[in-house]
Amino acid sequence: MIPLYGFLEGDTVGLLVLADGDDSVAEIARKLQTAARLRVAIEGPVTVLYDGKPVDPLTTVSDAGMQPLTRFDVRRRPPA
Amino acid sequence: MLKRDEWLDLARKLDWELSYVSEKDAFPEVQSGRPWLPHAAWAGWDEPFRTSYPEYVAGQHAKEASVAAVREAVGRVEDYQRLPQGWLEGLKLHAAMLPLAEFAAVVGNLRAARFGRDSAWRSAALLGALDEMRHTQIPLLLMHDLVRWDPQFDWTHKLFHTNNWVAIAARHLSDELLLASDAIEFAIATNFVFETGFTNVQFVGLSALAHGVGDKMFEKMVGSIQSDEARHAQIGAPVLAMVAKHDRPYAQYLLDKWFWRSWLLFAVVTGFSMDYLTPLEHRQSSFKEFMHEWVLDQFLRSLDEFGLERPWYWDIFLEGLDNYHHMVYASAYSYRASVWFNFVVPGPRERAWLAEKYPASWPDLDPVWQRITDRWRAADPGNDFAVHGTAIVSFCDLCQLVLSNGTPRANTANTLDHGGQRYVFCSRPCRWIFEQEPDRYAGHKDVVKRVLAGEAPANLVGLVQRYFGLDYETWGKDAFRGEYPWLDRRRA
Repeated sequence: MIPLYGFLEGDTVGLLVLADGDDSVAEIARKLQTAARLRVAIEGPVTVLYDGKPVDPLTTVSDAGMQPLTRFDVRRRPPA
Repeated sequence: MLKRDEWLDLARKLDWELSYVSEKDAFPEVQSGRPWLPHAAWAGWDEPFRTSYPEYVAGQHAKEASVAAVREAVGRVEDYQRLPQGWLEGLKLHAAMLPLAEFAAVVGNLRAARFGRDSAWRSAALLGALDEMRHTQIPLLLMHDLVRWDPQFDWTHKLFHTNNWVAIAARHLSDELLLASDAIEFAIATNFVFETGFTNVQFVGLSALAHGVGDKMFEKMVGSIQSDEARHAQIGAPVLAMVAKHDRPYAQYLLDKWFWRSWLLFAVVTGFSMDYLTPLEHRQSSFKEFMHEWVLDQFLRSLDEFGLERPWYWDIFLEGLDNYHHMVYASAYSYRASVWFNFVVPGPRERAWLAEKYPASWPDLDPVWQRITDRWRAADPGNDFAVHGTAIVSFCDLCQLVLSNGTPRANTANTLDHGGQRYVFCSRPCRWIFEQEPDRYAGHKDVVKRVLAGEAPANLVGLVQRYFGLDYETWGKDAFRGEYPWLDRRRA
């Protein structure tokens, strides 16, 4: 179990997200959006940032190098 | 018979040369603070009130009689029952934050009464300790009568004895500010920054609001406390002047550190009341406007007076004035069962008022309240958990408050690895404070780390009940059960 601090764009607080190492980055983005849905709903595609850089949504938390108790962000993906 | 001014300094400003111990042994730096200077440097220290003990006793007796008279007249349960619901919730918040912190301030004042570097300082601090004892007792007494009516008022006494997240944050601040600081840091942090700088927001701003809503008891209580604070806060400026003269960087550091720590506390406690819990028709100005009028102008003038700079994070602070308490309130609303008072959803009129008062930030905050409103519209009245968060929120390793700094678009939380541990901070100033004295803070676990260590339950209901000390009767709810006149459920 990898505890992460998740920040959803538009939200007012960071949330604790418990990830498995083999969770995809898209999965932890979904967990965060579910946890924050009382306050924020992002319609459409999102981008996950780790260490300030975009991360491939299909990669796993472990492969993305996400360390316990670090921050990731989920943001609206700007229109292409 | 000697006139007052002929004998007064024999009582309040009597220092003597030590012969059995050295001055450094009698006033060690660890208790007295730094810069350590021989007493000759402090000998000109004075404060303007120059109160004698008989004057103090007579004055306090009159104040006590006055508070008791108001309590007799308007301090009954039925008097409180007539007050607006939102205001009562703010009262529960303030009542719980105040008395045991004041009790800790007794200790801080007593340390200064022993280790302050001049006898006039020590004399004033001794009266300050007596003041703070009184400030502990007044809210405990006044709120005690209300416990049978509303058990949430029991948290007036209970809060600081629990592991509630607000108590953890409040203790983290008050332990350092009031219990652990040496006499010099106490004088600058508590007497100057906290009492001179910030408490006007409470004692002037909230007192005016209390008058407006008709809470004569609260108005009287804070007015009575303020008259004490105005006196013993005077210790701060002459101590700051001396430290600024002999060690300006340290004076600047203490100011920067304690302005930030004090700001976070007042933003939550007073910001909630002024911008959310006071009914709209009784609001006079926004929390931000009060801060500008009663804190910032005076604080900046004081910095000029002492030749000090505004804190390095001033722009961050100004952005926080527009955002921080709003972000914490929205977050706390969605986790209201984790605290001991109830919350109010801002309706269309309140949101229009907030948009007018906070044009830079409200456009990013309003959608959060629209979501919460829509959720209530779809939920049955009173079904609080249909409009409540379920995940565990995260907390700052310095202030111990939720990670709600920055803006909804750009939260400023950041992490730091130190001594083999990872720490998270809500903001750059909190991180900076930690980095100045890591040994002072590194061993303290925030709520998330207690959960991860197995010291606190990992599910929210268990955390609220078994760790935060709340039950169904006392945990926070929507103050109106989601039944707002402006909320039209037919549109669901």
